Amino acid sequence: MVEVTDLHMHFGAVRALGGVSFVARDGAITGLLGENGAGKTTTLNIISGLHQPMRGSAALDGGAAGDPLERRRYVGALLDHKGLYPRLTARENVAYFGALRGFSGTELTRRVNRALATVGIESLAERRTHGFSQGERMKVALARAIVHEPKNLILDEPTNGLDVPSARTFKAALSRMRELGVCIVFSSHLIHDVSALCDTVVIIARGRTVAQGEPAAVCRKTGCRTLEEAFMVLTGHEQEASCLAG
Amino acid sequence: MSGWMTVALKEIRDHGRDRRSLMSAALYSFMGPAVILLVAQSSAANKGGAPLLLSMMSVFALVSAFTGGMFLALDATAGERDRGSLVPLLLNPIPSLQLVAGKWVAVAVFAVAGLALNLVGFTAVFEWSRITPPSGTTGPFALWVVCGLLPLALLGAALHILTGAASRTLKDAQARLSIVTLVPMMTGMFLVFFPDTIGRWWFAVPVIGQQALFGEALRGHTVSLLQAGVLALLTLAATAAVVLTAGGVMSRNEAAS
Repeated sequence: MVEVTDLHMHFGAVRALGGVSFVARDGAITGLLGENGAGKTTTLNIISGLHQPMRGSAALDGGAAGDPLERRRYVGALLDHKGLYPRLTARENVAYFGALRGFSGTELTRRVNRALATVGIESLAERRTHGFSQGERMKVALARAIVHEPKNLILDEPTNGLDVPSARTFKAALSRMRELGVCIVFSSHLIHDVSALCDTVVIIARGRTVAQGEPAAVCRKTGCRTLEEAFMVLTGHEQEASCLAG
Repeated sequence: MSGWMTVALKEIRDHGRDRRSLMSAALYSFMGPAVILLVAQSSAANKGGAPLLLSMMSVFALVSAFTGGMFLALDATAGERDRGSLVPLLLNPIPSLQLVAGKWVAVAVFAVAGLALNLVGFTAVFEWSRITPPSGTTGPFALWVVCGLLPLALLGAALHILTGAASRTLKDAQARLSIVTLVPMMTGMFLVFFPDTIGRWWFAVPVIGQQALFGEALRGHTVSLLQAGVLALLTLAATAAVVLTAGGVMSRNEAAS
């Protein structure tokens, strides 16, 4: 479970976050929706342990709120950098990250095999990743992020650049992980993806949480028929929202 | 297995498959022996130029201590950022200093290998050419290698890691690393042509000390074990300081990611 409380973050004079709070449950996919620059990536970076917030906290499974290094133990993260090592095979790429998390021997092999199977790339496991397609690279990056079988998975715009079949396989993998009880936090600006995949949505605008709940509840609260309209209203684009409503 | 060792083994395996970089580093290592061999065949060597050629050998050896791991250092630092693998790497729960230490160990392995190739090349040159070191210098030369060149290769590896980690792009890192590699070359060349500028305390300064140690051995002067030992220790202390600084730079990279 991820509990984010009143996150504040500045980069120099720029305020990136000014009060983001939400709870993401286990066995559910929580979608962060927001415009470009709304603060989604910064929020995910803090949860993943890459950044330390200036105020507020990000608690994982009830603990690890303070120390970023400690937070990294509790999450698997696929942020906007998804580079692989092109001279290593897919298996070696995944195994490297498993080893960095302290696994070795048969335990490491078991976890690597499971991660490769979860994302459906066993057939590519022994190939060097140089020349992999965007979708194949994304799957290896996801396998690498889940090799330690984290209870919390953080994904930043994971379907960006994927073709339709790859995106479908990817979403199927996420659904399988949700069934296994993983807490998945997923940012996207593709409202269709969020509507189709997420149990809960969190809408962030100008560094603050402006709404959260099940997609239908967010629509009801704003009096909109679709999540897209609700998003437009909540992010200060009422006029365009009324156009959408027709 | 500890984090730094995992990183070191991965970097060694990864770089071991980069045939172009390995070939390039090997060519750098053999460049010195090849140049000396060619010049030795010329008339210059017959006109009393042999001592100068031997001094030049030291410059090439200093440079090879820096170049053996240069390509790996580039790939393991700025290269990580360039291909987008730095942030995923930083998301693992291991301290930045361990990451840097692992990368430094891997670069040092290749730096020492480059140095070894260079020295093997010079040994072959002595066999095949008319140039030979003065008699009785085997001991001082061994001291030069063990107390001078080996610690220098470790320092070179650390400087490359620091430079690469502090660079924003691969291109930036390439430019900076070329400058780092010029330092031993320019220092060595200067001291070959102006050996009298070396004061006693210069033995304690890495790079200058290595060249000074070689010059003393070549001229048949006594090189004390204490002097060589102090140089080795100070070079290793500088190495540790640079690795620690690189760890700090990597931490700042985390914050800036």
